[in-house]
Amino acid sequence: MIESKHIVPPQWPLKLLRFFVKKRYLEEIEGDMEELFYDNVEQVSYRKARRIYTWEMVKLLRPILIKNLEVLEKINQYAMFKNYFKISIRGLVKNPLNSFINVFGLSAAIGICVFAYAFARWTYSTDQFHEHKNEVYLITFSANRDGTAQQFGITPRPLGEMLRGDFAQIKKVCRVEDRNVVMKYKDNVFHERVRYTDPEFLEMFTFPLKWGVSKSLSDVNSIILSEEMSIKYFGDENPVGQDIIMIFAKDRTKAFKVAGVAKKFPDAHTIDFNFLINIENFRTSEPNYDFHDWNTFVSATLVQVNNSSDLKTIEHGMGKYKKFQNEAAQPDWALSSFTFEPLATLHQRAGDIRDDISHSSGDNYKTIVYLIVLALFILALACFNYINIAIATAAKRLKEIGLRKTIGATRGLVIVQFLSENLVITSFALIIGLILGYTIFIPGFEQMWHFSMEFKLNDPNLWIYLPAILVFTSIASGIYPSLYISRFQVVGILKGSVKFGQKNPVTKIFLCMQLIFACIFITIASMFTLNTDYMAERSWGYNHDETLYANVPDYASYEELHALMAQDPEVLSISGSTHHLGKSNTTAVLHFPDRELEVDQLSVDAKYFETMGLQLKEGRSFNDHEGSDKHAVVVNELLVKNMSRLLSGGKNAVGQHFTIDSTQYEVIGVTKDFHSYSFAKKIKPTIFRVADKADYRYLSMKVRPGSEVKAFRKLQAKWAQLFPQIPFEGAHQEDTWVGYFEANRIYGIVWRVFTFIAVSLASLGLYGLITLNVAGRVKEFSIRKILGAGIQSIAASITNQYTILFVIALILGAPAGYVLTKLLFEYSFPYHMPVGISCSIIAMVILILILFTTVFTQVRKVSKANPVDGLKVE
Amino acid sequence: MKKTKLGEFEELVLLTVAALQRDAYGVEIKRELEDRLKERLSVGSIQSALKRMEEKGFLTSEFGEATQKRGGKRKRIYATTSHAHKVLAEMKEIRAGLWSAMPKLAYELKLI
Repeated sequence: MIESKHIVPPQWPLKLLRFFVKKRYLEEIEGDMEELFYDNVEQVSYRKARRIYTWEMVKLLRPILIKNLEVLEKINQYAMFKNYFKISIRGLVKNPLNSFINVFGLSAAIGICVFAYAFARWTYSTDQFHEHKNEVYLITFSANRDGTAQQFGITPRPLGEMLRGDFAQIKKVCRVEDRNVVMKYKDNVFHERVRYTDPEFLEMFTFPLKWGVSKSLSDVNSIILSEEMSIKYFGDENPVGQDIIMIFAKDRTKAFKVAGVAKKFPDAHTIDFNFLINIENFRTSEPNYDFHDWNTFVSATLVQVNNSSDLKTIEHGMGKYKKFQNEAAQPDWALSSFTFEPLATLHQRAGDIRDDISHSSGDNYKTIVYLIVLALFILALACFNYINIAIATAAKRLKEIGLRKTIGATRGLVIVQFLSENLVITSFALIIGLILGYTIFIPGFEQMWHFSMEFKLNDPNLWIYLPAILVFTSIASGIYPSLYISRFQVVGILKGSVKFGQKNPVTKIFLCMQLIFACIFITIASMFTLNTDYMAERSWGYNHDETLYANVPDYASYEELHALMAQDPEVLSISGSTHHLGKSNTTAVLHFPDRELEVDQLSVDAKYFETMGLQLKEGRSFNDHEGSDKHAVVVNELLVKNMSRLLSGGKNAVGQHFTIDSTQYEVIGVTKDFHSYSFAKKIKPTIFRVADKADYRYLSMKVRPGSEVKAFRKLQAKWAQLFPQIPFEGAHQEDTWVGYFEANRIYGIVWRVFTFIAVSLASLGLYGLITLNVAGRVKEFSIRKILGAGIQSIAASITNQYTILFVIALILGAPAGYVLTKLLFEYSFPYHMPVGISCSIIAMVILILILFTTVFTQVRKVSKANPVDGLKVE
Repeated sequence: MKKTKLGEFEELVLLTVAALQRDAYGVEIKRELEDRLKERLSVGSIQSALKRMEEKGFLTSEFGEATQKRGGKRKRIYATTSHAHKVLAEMKEIRAGLWSAMPKLAYELKLI
């Protein structure tokens, strides 16, 4: 039994009570609770009594007993703000059209702001999930190619091993190298890209495993899969322990045991993998792979250091490697310095690093800028609408303001009133905008690009960002009207001598700006739309319609496939090559006596030009004899243009000489320029060389027009017949750019959506203003009608007011649209439709149509109305 | 009748206050009602009903004695106003009227 003086009610519920409950009720309730508690102690156990006491306390927190409301009520402003709130709600309900224009416009703009936020957040979160993102560095080097220093993401093969041995400051090293293999599990056979790496890979990068252990990568017989690949081969089951067979080459295969499956990668990443195996496997897959060859490169070498200040020492110590490298390597790869790129910012820098393993997200950063500009534009449009309508309807509020001022409201208070009204409207818009962004803009964009921005509503930064938008928008849209309206003197207002709202020049300026914005938007969107069609028609510089290609593993298979396909009468020409247009190339450095040029290089056979439809401008193509033209090259026009400054004798490109890797080559022909990759990439100076037969990797063929589909099916069938073990890899040449055309189409859609919003905002604003204007002139129109005015004259008197405005907007908007479109396209696309005035004309026509439609709706209303009703108003 | 707005629970509390007279304070009201209704009531529900009715003008209150059991805190003794009596009487009348109307109804129903 507990002694009675120790029997006390628990203390914290009492504190809760004292904090929340009104002071004047405290004494009584506390007393009641205590009395009850001691009653309970006599009847039930001490603990139960305490429990009852606590629970009762919690149940006491009822609205009528809680104090904070009482505090608010005591403040004078509470009643005032309550009144403001009531007035704004009434205002919203009373003018549904104006409210709709305001709320719709602001919510669309806020929706876009939310979308821009989500996109920026996503972009900035790229690769940030790696725990060691600030300790892991990619080793890059600078080499002087083509006269300028360039940064490369690849590294000489022995570097990783040497670093590991030479520097104690380096905690971990991993090399990364990718290869294409054929993967086989039971009857499923696919071409796959496999990442060879050191076991440290999974410790340096944070890729948690769903199943298995990451340590197992140190076993050369283990393989780790991405989740996607695990599902592709094994479905939803746990594949750990299963055997999967990798076919490196025709006669070299190896079985790997699945040792782990990575969890799904976060969407915002630039480095990942499909399959990971130990780098030692090169000893099996490529018996002559030399780990100590300074002249060849791995895709990446990454190091992890404890302290970023160690980097200086390491960089200094790496000087000796330069010597190794520069002695062993061809002079084209002479490197000048090593640098370290932290993983945390690699995705931003990737665009400037050549041959980097991470994909660049530089375009995304560009997109953020565009999105911010767009969001601000749309926000401005919505704010202009709000301001215009507020000013135009101010006349209706004059009496209210006069009265408020009479009973003591200062100008400041009237301003506060209008701003708080604005805050209410903007809050509505914020909620709708958030819903719009969350349910329409973001998912729509994600669906088009097939990715997920991982946008979550519980993101803390979002809840800083949204109130910031709320305050910014309500002040931006509300400050001018509130200053303007609060300015008027009471006496003037109440006497009725103040007339304003209709003829405010600021309204006109804002409307004019809206029209200019709309004009710019329409110009850009129509340019994007027209450009998509234009680019679809643009020549690729070679014949992409009637050509097909297939990847071949080696020359023997090329020969077999060639023999089978050559019998087909539909096939006009077949050729073999090491590289292929739109698929692959290598680079080379051309040495001239006084300088170097870096070029793209494709190794092909003699028939390649005919097969692919590349047009020769001068000279000849390669001879079709074994071993001929070993030192001859065919170049493209662009290279000739770049060379012309260096040409020693004569203007003729054919017959020129230069050296590559200290071998002399002669130019024997010039092709017209062509697009190796999509129109999104600039044409590069390119050379063709004769391919060594042993290196054939592609079979390309030209077929009779109209028989492409049939020929492609036949190609696949023959392949399956020849190589049942290896899945077919190949396509119609025209499909190599699918991604490019798809992206173009999406740009078009995105811009049309923005334009739609911008144009609807501008036209809603126009509609609102004209409606208000007409409503204010009901009497005038009624008298005109009674005196015999026709529809035309009424229409003219409405339109006249806006004609000058429109003319000014178009005079300013059309050239602005033209210039901005030109800038945008020249900045973003190397090749595009020439920017002409057609898009500006489209924009002008659309805007004029909008004006007439808007005026027409009002004229119709006026013409149908009975003038007697109009005159009876008041 | 329109403006009084007396809920069922409030009416019960009001009647209890009227019945208890000088003893009408929180714990006693709760105890009495619990006995009569044969169910547990929370302090919160009683207190909020009392405060609401005080605001509506059915009740007045003043501080009473303090006991040691209450940790030296005073009771608040509630008393009904004449307005409350009028409303309660009205309610009773309405109910009585309805009750007196009921047997007739029942009788008629039986005939069918």
